Amino acid sequence: MEKIGTDTESILLVDDNPTNLQVLFQTLDGVGCKLLIAKNGEMALSIAGKARPDLILLDIMMPGIDGYEVCRQLKSVPATADIPVIFLSALGDTGDKVKGLQLGAVDYITKPFQPDEVIARVNTHLTIHRLKREVESRKDQLEHELKVVSEVQQKLLPKQLPAIDGFKLAVHYETSRYAGGDYYDIIALPDNHWGILIADAEGHSAPAAVLMAMTCALFRAYPDADTDPAKMLRYLNEHLCKVAEPSFMTALYAVYDANQKTMRMARAGQPLPMIYRFLEKHAIEFPCPGVHPLGIEPYGGEIPVTETKLEAGDRFLVYTDGVSERFNTEGDIYGEKRLLRLLATDSADNPQDVLAAIMADIERFAGQRPADDDQALLLGTAA
Amino acid sequence: MEIIQKEENGIVLIAINGRLDADTSPEAEKVVKDALKDQTTRILFNLASLEYLSSAGLRVLLGAAKEMRRRDGKIVLCALNAFVKEIFEVSGFQSLIPIADSVESGIELLS
Repeated sequence: MEKIGTDTESILLVDDNPTNLQVLFQTLDGVGCKLLIAKNGEMALSIAGKARPDLILLDIMMPGIDGYEVCRQLKSVPATADIPVIFLSALGDTGDKVKGLQLGAVDYITKPFQPDEVIARVNTHLTIHRLKREVESRKDQLEHELKVVSEVQQKLLPKQLPAIDGFKLAVHYETSRYAGGDYYDIIALPDNHWGILIADAEGHSAPAAVLMAMTCALFRAYPDADTDPAKMLRYLNEHLCKVAEPSFMTALYAVYDANQKTMRMARAGQPLPMIYRFLEKHAIEFPCPGVHPLGIEPYGGEIPVTETKLEAGDRFLVYTDGVSERFNTEGDIYGEKRLLRLLATDSADNPQDVLAAIMADIERFAGQRPADDDQALLLGTAA
Repeated sequence: MEIIQKEENGIVLIAINGRLDADTSPEAEKVVKDALKDQTTRILFNLASLEYLSSAGLRVLLGAAKEMRRRDGKIVLCALNAFVKEIFEVSGFQSLIPIADSVESGIELLS
């Protein structure tokens, strides 16, 4: 007899007729699994719940609760719902078989059975069940890994936003279940200048998180306290080019002069910043010519720097594409227009509340569909 | 997503229909890699029926462009719709990969 099971696997045999049980036992003995026995439905349920066998061979016609009812109850309890059930019964009509299969059994063998056939089918279903467990375990492993990556991402972010004179900041940062590598940071520069970075690593999970971590380290270790945004992008690019392939990092770096209330920015593939002008009560995508993303190749020519002055009440928003490219269940995209409309909201004043309004609108739009990508928004309101 | 490829006069034409995003880009990457097996040095991506392009999709196109550069070859993307064109331009890729309005003008750029 070919040994097909492993010693740690067990099969529960259920039949009220002792002769049948003995024949089954003899048929499957030597197959390599531990064999458990139940003489009726109640015993079967009790043993299944405690021993969690890898397969159940289930008779139908039994006094007390019948095999169909046993199957129903097995499937209704999480602890036993995934155990494959094979009906083994003298009831041989198509109707009986269909009923059994519809109750969730994986197979139906009619009595009197051929021993070889029972062994072959038991083997098939044990194999399937084994593979299913393996797949589920890998899935759990991957999900755990992604969770760890997300936690690492969060650790790299600034612990709190600085208090800047006349410029109130707020941030919303949400990793997705697919850990997307979004990053933001703010550094203090000489003479009441502040460097604001928002960046987005292409890809997900560990590779994106690694790029993100590198960018974070490079940014914080920037040697010159320089206020030229182009220089910062060139510096980041030089180092990321060595390691990013085949991926890349989009970024926007803006230097805010809190004395003059001017923002000078350099953009590398990041979505355009959005500015709400308080006097005009109007929000626009701010035209900011850019270069290609970081990590691909050196920047040949000049990196354009765009400047704007912020007046009292103006709002300056930078964000990652996971925000504007959020999809709903119909496959519609949230888009820049909606984001602009929410940025111009008059229902809120301080940046924290404006961001809350934006996120509420995005969640309302997306409905049941979760985010596929990280979402980061950094908003500053000029006083 | 559906990818249709053919070869004409030494140019590999690859049409990408549907969405090129994180879900579909692994498959697209495989197809592009296969298409480049025979030492091709001319590729034209026909994006007329491409509905959406994410950064994962850009990565696939970038990979093809880099390979073409290694072989001293040429690559052109053509027939991008307004939405996809905007994604492409905002992401700064227009300085990395040339685009054309139509298949015809794309073929011209490749000669």
